[in-house]
Amino acid sequence: MRAREPDADGFVDRGGVKLHWERFGHGEPTLLLLPTWTVVHARFWKAQIPYLARHFRVVTYDGPGNGRSDRPLDPGPYGYEEEARAAAAVLDATGTGRAVAVSLSMGAQWALWLMANRPERLLGSVFIGPAIDLGLMDGDVEDTFDEPYTSTEGWARYNRYYWLDHYQDFLEFFFAQCFSEAHSTKQVEDAVGWGLETSPEVLIAEHAGPEPDGATARDWCARSPCPVLVIHGDDDQVVAPRHGRALAEATGGTLVVLGGAGHIPNARDPVKVNRLIADFARSLPATEPR
Amino acid sequence: MTTVQARQAGRAAGEQTRARYPDDEGHVEREGVRVFWERYGDGEPTVFLLPTWSIVHARFWKAQIPYLARHFRVVTFDGRGNGRSDRPEGAAAYSEREFAADALAVLDATATERAVLVSLSCGALWSTLLAADHPGRVDGIVYIGPAVGLAPPHPERAVHSFFEPLDTDEGWARYNRHYWLRDYRGFLQYFFSRCLTEPHSTKQQEDCVAWALEIAPETLIDTEQGLLLCGLESFERQCRRLRCPVLVVHGDEDAIRPHAQGAALAAATGGRLVTLAGAGHLPQARDPVKVNLLIREFVESLGGRVR
Repeated sequence: MRAREPDADGFVDRGGVKLHWERFGHGEPTLLLLPTWTVVHARFWKAQIPYLARHFRVVTYDGPGNGRSDRPLDPGPYGYEEEARAAAAVLDATGTGRAVAVSLSMGAQWALWLMANRPERLLGSVFIGPAIDLGLMDGDVEDTFDEPYTSTEGWARYNRYYWLDHYQDFLEFFFAQCFSEAHSTKQVEDAVGWGLETSPEVLIAEHAGPEPDGATARDWCARSPCPVLVIHGDDDQVVAPRHGRALAEATGGTLVVLGGAGHIPNARDPVKVNRLIADFARSLPATEPR
Repeated sequence: MTTVQARQAGRAAGEQTRARYPDDEGHVEREGVRVFWERYGDGEPTVFLLPTWSIVHARFWKAQIPYLARHFRVVTFDGRGNGRSDRPEGAAAYSEREFAADALAVLDATATERAVLVSLSCGALWSTLLAADHPGRVDGIVYIGPAVGLAPPHPERAVHSFFEPLDTDEGWARYNRHYWLRDYRGFLQYFFSRCLTEPHSTKQQEDCVAWALEIAPETLIDTEQGLLLCGLESFERQCRRLRCPVLVVHGDEDAIRPHAQGAALAAATGGRLVTLAGAGHLPQARDPVKVNLLIREFVESLGGRVR
């Protein structure tokens, strides 16, 4: 059961891969709530949609691989450029001229691509816990994703073979890291449930999709004229807060650090995050009619 | 780049911040025992949120106060034995007559001529007695998960003695004075896990355990013995004397007090019974929106009765 049902929904076809979008409300401007990693679908915005749709027009969609979208097993649809172009296609399909992009974690890659390459479509961009490598991530993690796992502890579970063997255990581990705040059992349960709607095979295909390198991402930041708000929890166990700080610096944006918050503050601090998004959207120069 | 610190990472020791602070507060003393009251809002009528068992204090109404105070005048107080109230010694200090008399003293101290009472669990004993003895002061009663002996208890709670040493610490065997003195926190964690049986209740359990650590197990033993003095016969007589409208709200998965007890109370008082599906013993904490709306709807339904 949802607090708010969509006013319209439909599918976009991207080369045979169907993506499911939803639209809520009629206010101005439009907020485009982007997908994030394929492990969850658009319901991860469940604490934003009912509030934001009272003030703005809200468009969201399931990225390839989860929710009501198709689940391709080749990496193509999961590459950053195709993911970003799919977002633009959703803007087209919903008759949205310009929007404020709102992204969580690796959704930052697609938001940043749009800022640099489709600047006429974006009024502003809100990044929450952005997972975008601006050249700072080298050496963060030893990449043993494709090697047989020799440990089942901690992040060793971020491994293709472990996913195939113990998918639910990986999900429970991963979302426990995402939700480092006390009293997150409901949010963990929701997220694990969404993770179980896709498969380790899909996540492995997604993993093979290309991601932008640090120089490319820095170039996008430098090229974009788009106003930016970055929200980052200072207890984020998945993407260190310094990456959010770096993105705010590179884009000339505003950084809001949420004390005590983890990687998904939109779920654990929804009131705070919703007000930050709303205030940011209202602060932007008035948009021309769609 | 601007950096905004949106929330303090660590909170100062002591009480959590509140969504709503009282507009007035004070102590009232009765026979040498001081109880601490708070008032919120100025609407009409007054909603009087009574204490329950002194294992917790008035913060157990934290999810009601901010909402109700936007519509009504809200008065609450810490029951003797916890919070900012005194902790008298001896079981006799914790009978239902003492709690009802404290409630009356708080009505007087806050210049509250009449009120709608809201009680939780064994607060039913004091709300019933207050309304039966002072019908002119009470316009209606909301009972939430009432702990009343009008129907049998859960069988598993009737197995073990409270007073005698037991040879087991399993389950409800922890509801035992010797166990309380030996492992008070262990008892609290078990008890509130049974109060809050709904999934995702970790926050509410943590709150309740912390409030319960504000009363010593020795004092809690006094309160338990005080409750055991309350007689079923006199309670049934009090119910028959009630003249005000009644609403009973009871979870159908209440593991502390069977739903049948709430149903029997509604029948005995001619009140309306609302059954909350899936709810445990503390729905005001786990289903606050539903409970708040029920309270508000009941209070507003009293209409002309309430001055």
